[in-house]
Order: sequence, then C-alpha cells, then structure tokens
Amino acid sequence: MSATPAIEVKSARRTFRTSGGLFGTAREVVAVDDVSLAVPAGSVLGIVGESGCGKSTLARLILGLLPTTAGEVLVDGQRLDGMDRRFRAELIQPVFQDPFASLNPRRRIGDIVALPLVAQGKFAGAEIGRKVAEMLERVGLASDMAGRLPAELSGGQRQRVAIARALILRPRIVVCDEPTSALDVSVQAQILNLLAELRREFNLTYLFISHNLAVVEHVATEVAVMYLGRIVEQAPTAELFHAPRHPYTRALLASVLTPEPGLGVPDVGLGDILPDPANIPPGCRFHPRCPVAIERCGSVAPPLLAAAHSRVECHLAVAGAA
Amino acid sequence: MSEALLDIAGLRVTFAGGTAAVRGTAIAVNRGETHCLVGESGCGKSVSALAVMNLLARGASRSADRLRFAGEDLLSLSDTGMARLRGNRMAMIFQEPMTSLNPAYTVGSQMTEVHRRHKGSSRQVATDRAAEMLARVGITAPGMRLGQFPHQLSGGLRQRVMIAMALMCDPELLIADEPTTALDVTVQAQILRLLAGLQRDLGLAVLLITHDLGIVARVADRVSVMYAGEVVESARTNDLFARPQHPYTRGLLDCVPVPGKIRPGEPLGSIPGVVPRVRAGFQGCGFRDRCAFAMPECAAEVPRHAAGEAHDYLCRLAADWSGLRGAA
Ligand SMILES: Nc1ncnc2c1ncn2[C@@H]1O[C@H](COP(=O)(O)OP(=O)(O)OP(=O)(O)O)[C@@H](O)[C@H]1O
Ligand SMILES: Nc1ncnc2c1ncn2[C@@H]1O[C@H](COP(=O)(O)OP(=O)(O)OP(=O)(O)O)[C@@H](O)[C@H]1O
Ligand code: SF4
Ligand code: SF4
Ligand SMILES: [Mg+2]
Ligand SMILES: [Mg+2]
Repeated sequence: MSATPAIEVKSARRTFRTSGGLFGTAREVVAVDDVSLAVPAGSVLGIVGESGCGKSTLARLILGLLPTTAGEVLVDGQRLDGMDRRFRAELIQPVFQDPFASLNPRRRIGDIVALPLVAQGKFAGAEIGRKVAEMLERVGLASDMAGRLPAELSGGQRQRVAIARALILRPRIVVCDEPTSALDVSVQAQILNLLAELRREFNLTYLFISHNLAVVEHVATEVAVMYLGRIVEQAPTAELFHAPRHPYTRALLASVLTPEPGLGVPDVGLGDILPDPANIPPGCRFHPRCPVAIERCGSVAPPLLAAAHSRVECHLAVAGAA
Repeated sequence: MSEALLDIAGLRVTFAGGTAAVRGTAIAVNRGETHCLVGESGCGKSVSALAVMNLLARGASRSADRLRFAGEDLLSLSDTGMARLRGNRMAMIFQEPMTSLNPAYTVGSQMTEVHRRHKGSSRQVATDRAAEMLARVGITAPGMRLGQFPHQLSGGLRQRVMIAMALMCDPELLIADEPTTALDVTVQAQILRLLAGLQRDLGLAVLLITHDLGIVARVADRVSVMYAGEVVESARTNDLFARPQHPYTRGLLDCVPVPGKIRPGEPLGSIPGVVPRVRAGFQGCGFRDRCAFAMPECAAEVPRHAAGEAHDYLCRLAADWSGLRGAA
C-alpha cells in the first residue's frame, strides 16, 4: 500500500524507571517493547491484551503525550512534537481510560465539551453552543447535563462526556482507550453505532483499546493482541476471532463470559502467577504460563512470522497456516 | 437464612438540583451470596451503593424505610459508628479508582492505613497483609507496586489495588461497583474466582454492580434490574435470563453482543430513546417514553407483580405477557 498510514509506529520502545519501594532497588519496567504497526486511514485497529501489558502507554506514545525511549511514531506521516497545537487537535484526539481523571472537576460539562472548539479560535459563540448541544444529544446526554460538574454525573455519563469532547472537532484520528467500559450494552451500542457512522461519513481512523472482545470484534477491522509489551499476534478481525494462532489469544477468547447462566467462570489453565514487567521471562515471554509450551520456548525467543496482513510470534505457529 | 446481611427497603436519594436519583429501591444480600445490580447508565446504581455506605456528595438527601447491616440499623448509626464499619466489616470498590485513590500517597501507605486503623496492626503486619492481598489479585512484584503512586499503575492495576484494599480487613459485605471493567478477561476470571472462594470460605456477601451480563449470568445468585431510580425487576439468575418480564429487562438482554456471533458492519442492537429526567414527584413508569407497550395508564402508579417464587417486576403487564420465551 502506497498511501500514508494514519498511524505508523516503528520499533517503539518505552521503559519506566521505578523506585524499588520496600525492596529498595530501582527497577526498570518495559511497558512497550519493540512495537511496530501501521493503521491505514479509514480503518480501525483494535488492541486487546492483558491488564498492564502496555496498551495505554502505546496510546500515549501515539498521541505524543509521552516520548518514546527508542523508535518513532508518525501520525499522518508526520511527527507530532513541534506540530501546531490547533492543527494537531483537528488531526488526532484521545478518549482516555479513566474519564474522571481526565475531566477538569471545576468546569461545567458544556464548557468541557466546548473547549476544543473554543481553542481553535475560529468558531462563533452561537455555533459552538449549537455544536455542543448536538454532540451531547448524539452521545445520549440530556441537555440539562451541560450545566453540571463532572462529579454530578454517573460513571457512564462522564465517559460519554469524554467521547463528546473527543469527537466535537471531527478529528481524523481518534485514539480510544476503553471508551465504553462504563456503559450498559444498550448505551454502548448507541455510542459504537455513532462511531461507526462518523467513520463512514468522514473516513475516520480509530485505534480502539478494549477488554470487551465482543465490542472489538464488532468495531475493529484488524486486531493486535499485546502481551507484556509486545504485539504477539495481529490479524484481520474475522481471522483472529475464528482462527486464533497464538496460545495467549486462544486463552483470551476462551475466557470470555457469555451470558449463559450456570456455566460458572472458566479456568483456561494460565495459572494465577502473572508476569512481572520488570523481570521479563527469557525465551518466549509467555512460556511460564503457556499451556502448550515446548522446551525451546524457555530459552529461544520465537521468531516473527509475518504475512501480508497477519503476524504471530510463537514457535508452534506454522507459516501460512491460519 | 433468617435475616439478610444487607437489607435495604424504600431507599431514596435526591440531589440538591432536584434530581431524584434513587426512588424506593429495595435490595437484600445474604451471607455467602452474590447479588448483581444492573441497569442503564445513570439509573442510580452507584448512588444506591454510596447511600448504603453513607458516602453521598454534600447536598444529597437520603432516606429509607429500612437500611440494616448485620442486624444493625445504619440509619440511626452515628458517623463514627459508620466509619468503624466502612472499610472494615463492609467495604466498597468504587467505579473509578482515581476517585478514591489518593494521588499523593503510595499504594502501600494507602493499603496499610486501612488495616492499621481498623485492626490496630503494626506497620510490618499491615505491609505483609497488603503484599499478600496484591498477590491474591494477581499483581506480581507486590513490593515494587506498594512503593508506587497510583499514576504509575495501569488502569487494571489500579482497579486491582482497589479490590485488594477492600479485602484487607476480611469484610463481611463487599459492594463492588464495576470492579473488573479495566481487566482483561483472564484476569477478570481470576478475580471472580477469588471472590467466589471468599464467599465459600468466609461467607462473604457481595453486591456486584456491573454492565457485563456475562458476569451476571456466571456469578450472580440473584439479579436486580434498575431503571430510572427504581428496581424494576428482581429474580434468581436462571429465572431472570429464562423468563425476563419487564420490557426494559427484555430489551437489555436482547442487546448483549456475543463474541463470535457478531455481524460486522451491522449496527448493534440498542433500546431507542434516552432515560427521562426524573425529578422529585415523578409519577408512573419511568420506562414509558421508550416502551413499545406503553399505555396511558402507565403514567399512573404501576403495580409490582410476582412472576413466580422470588421473582417480581414493576409493570402494568401481567406475568409472561408474550408467552414464555424458549419454553416452546
Ligand atoms: N452529585 C450529584 N449531583 C446531581 N446529580 C447526581 C450526582 N451524582 C449522581 N447524579 C445523578 O444521579 C443519577 C444516578 O447516578 P449513578 O451514578 O447512581 O448512576 P449509575 O447507575 O451508577 O450509572 P453508570 O452505570 O453510568 O455508572 C444520574 O442521572 C446522575 O447524573
Ligand atoms: N508513569 C509510569 N511510571 C511507572 N510505570 C508506569 C507508568 N505508566 C505505566 N507504567 C507501567 O507500565 C506498564 C504498562 O502500563 P499501561 O498503562 O500501558 O498498561 P495497559 O495495557 O493500559 O493496562 P490496563 O489494561 O490495565 O489499563 C505497567 O506495568 C505500568 O505500571
Ligand atoms: S512460543 Fe512457546 S511458550 Fe510462547 S506462545 Fe508459542 S508455544 Fe507458548
Ligand atoms: S408499565 Fe407500561 S410503560 Fe412501563 S414497562 Fe410496563 S408496559 Fe411499558
Ligand atoms: Mg490501560
Ligand atoms: Mg455508576
């Protein structure tokens, strides 16, 4: 493909140094480890993966809110640092994971949603008012919410404010970090349908991080699975859901709780000992928990097996096989 | 079981602006049981939970016909009496971790403080306990995490810190408000198994607020469905999924997307319309603007019907009004 990808990440790495706490030794956490990806304009890349595996860090690298330790991030072919702020705001917008922490507690909802428009400095007051009212309605918030403070809203209402704020400028790229985790299935459907509509209308690109696999299956065109800072598998959505190749992807899919009473909570055999990002296992980083690990997995890192639209890092994956 | 551990009846909460957020909620949670509370965003689930814990925002007014915990009347309990229970015998996991974690203190100092205050334990004992609880919620390198500040943790780590903190003092009742939204499904399963273990071993009672009907189906003993400040249906879990009665419950269950059965490109199902603004003095069924079966009489007080043992719902329609689904 020759067109410039909306998002391009090249061998990005990000580490954090953290004081050792009670153990007293400083440790280095590798949050994002040699991640490369390209999101074509108009597509939706879903990102799933274990809690703490680096999804939000990757999002912040892409948004330019955090510098990379190594590697490079290009948005619409350009680096974000040094880009004009108003131009950048129309190019890429975030929806953060924790809405409460991302909304100014002293500002009223109407002002919070209007702020990106106001900052552009090219919209008249009346136009701003009209756009804000329309946007609030589209995310399912009654007009009287505009006068409230964030603390006076429910969790799901705050999340919808964060979405309204991100969409009001009609940015070309939206980085959504768990955008619907606080919504019931009906309101969630309204929001996802709205995102789909806007994408069709304006050819928007989304990076969509979520733990809800049904939602990812619905919105994403392609899905990347992260584990301990790396993308361990990536494939077009239908392929990933119907023929997962990485054992971690399979474990994720097997852990989904369908609404069928009486089945209980499955144990997919990963064990209860989770990985330590400050002490990444040698060989395949998933090997201490992998139910199908072979001897080589403990010492040799699996090679990247890449085809045109899919890739996987596992010793057991076979080239070409889906 | 004679008396429920948590027994709520006629709970009402009104905010200074006139919003009637909770309008006569009744919920009972027994020892060793999980009672799930579901409902549309903004319907009053979190406010109900905060009302039980007496943690409502200033300007909110709370009243109830009955609000009892372990036989004790919470309505007449003093602030210090309540503070002695909170975080100790009854604990809460808040919907948004950053609303209750203090950004200026390390995870370790926040977790140990609870234990030292309620149990009078030494710093060392409390620290050991905190590390143990972090490990039980699947956090590796607890020593490192105890020394970190909340902003240095991922969303799911923060959520698990909240869960571990709530379990520090072995509570009898846990109110968990969307406790696993930031967790991937494998870690979520681990947390749900941990809670199930505590229920079996220690008789922990859980009031679980969640939007995830998969979780509800798999872990709940009972389910209450809220809409616009009221419990509109309550039933045993199997019953609710097999024979939902209230039109809102039916609509909600019809919207659940199931992975592997998604048709891409097609809009997801939703219930058209939005929740009405409910102010003090609101009359009639709160769902009537959106209900396909609404009649003029729905604007007056609607009856609470029984639909079998321990199953009731708030609607003018008689039980099994459109035939038993799945019974054919
Ligand atoms: N401090 C407040 N002042 C005024 N209104 C409030 C306040 N807190 C909550 N509300 C309103 O009360 C209603 C119930 O809120 P609550 O937080 O209980 O909803 P919820 O059921 O938990 O929703 P969600 O699923 O979105 O978290 C909402 O409409 C909300 O806007
Ligand atoms: N500012 C920071 N200082 C130190 N460590 C950090 C910082 N930000 C993130 N980390 C660490 O980096 C790792 C990845 O965190 P990140 O927030 O990217 O995870 P995530 O995949 O978004 O997880 P979740 O699904 O739980 O939100 C975690 O171990 C986290 O503790
Ligand atoms: S490389 Fe080995 S340990 Fe890693 S996922 Fe594949 S089989 Fe499992
Ligand atoms: S009372 Fe009337 S409006 Fe309300 S759910 Fe029943 S039929 Fe619908
Ligand atoms: Mg995150
Ligand atoms: Mg809530």
